[in-house]
Amino acid sequence: MTDTQWKVFEVFHQQARGEPHVHVGSIHAPDAEMALILAKEQYSRRQACVNLWVVPVEAILPTAYENDDIFERGTDKSYRESWGYKTPKTITASHGATEPRSHEG
Amino acid sequence: MEYKKFQAFDELSGAVRESVIDLLYRLADDELVIGHRNSEWTGHGPILEADIAFSSMAQDEMGHAQAYYQMLHQLGEADPDTLAFGRKPRQYRCASLVCLPNGDWAFSVLRQFLYDAAETVRLIAFSESTLVPLAQLATKLRGEEKYHLMHGRTWVLKLGNGTEESQKRMQAALDLAYPHALGLFEPTEFDEPLAQAGISPREGELRKQWESAVSPVLADARLRVPDNAKPVYGGRVGKHPEALKQLLDQLQLVYNIDPMAKW
Repeated sequence: MTDTQWKVFEVFHQQARGEPHVHVGSIHAPDAEMALILAKEQYSRRQACVNLWVVPVEAILPTAYENDDIFERGTDKSYRESWGYKTPKTITASHGATEPRSHEG
Repeated sequence: MEYKKFQAFDELSGAVRESVIDLLYRLADDELVIGHRNSEWTGHGPILEADIAFSSMAQDEMGHAQAYYQMLHQLGEADPDTLAFGRKPRQYRCASLVCLPNGDWAFSVLRQFLYDAAETVRLIAFSESTLVPLAQLATKLRGEEKYHLMHGRTWVLKLGNGTEESQKRMQAALDLAYPHALGLFEPTEFDEPLAQAGISPREGELRKQWESAVSPVLADARLRVPDNAKPVYGGRVGKHPEALKQLLDQLQLVYNIDPMAKW
């Protein structure tokens, strides 16, 4: 059976100039131009937006979840974490990063 | 020539005031009826994404209608709900283009393109209007309208240059819609007072601008504008296709159960 679904594009949304583009979901469209047109209503109607990106899903090369052990730390690597200096709140908020771990004591 | 500016509606009087009232009815009724027509696709669009975009634009048009009805209210007409829901078909001033049933997706997106190209031409003209509240509203609506035009244009180009089937359907849609689209620019007795007061250009002038805006897109979409298309007039004086009555019956159904109900 042929696939009747259109191509999939991942959508990245920018809330204000200078802010990072954040992945907000995906959209079906026959091509990139139409993906942008349709993404506009899909992803900006409920929040402020100044810019959208659409990326064909094939352009993304993901790691495989079965290999997620590559991200595990065999030994203590806490010295790599950037807890020693302050990150401006605006950056942690827009990156969705968690607060640096506490290494007191 | 230096035009006098009208800072507020109460500065209008006589024939100019009457003409502005008629103009606002034409604008509002077009928006209300196309908004309702486009909303009929809600839940029936060809795919979810297209459905959401079309429905969202239908809401925009309803919002524009409300803004124009609000202006009419400021000019002493009834409140927006009564104007939208409480009139007989012959009291509406919409063009036949917006009354026509949706047909297929090709017709609906083609009509949306032709209609929003006309709206864009008007809003650009209104942004220079001597009627300041109208100029301000026009400037405010330009962004939404820009998107509507991008949406319509993109669909027309895709379907016109798509498959043999899509091209055929688009051509059939254009053959049907074009004479009605020309009817958007039906001249009325109010053209002169409006033009002379610098409030709105004459309909014939707007039509020319609209034709130069839509023809290159239609050509790029491999669509042929019907030769010697005869404009369908009548809407601006309350003569409508039967389809409007059916649409209004549905639109006014709940309102008519209890017009005094508070929501």
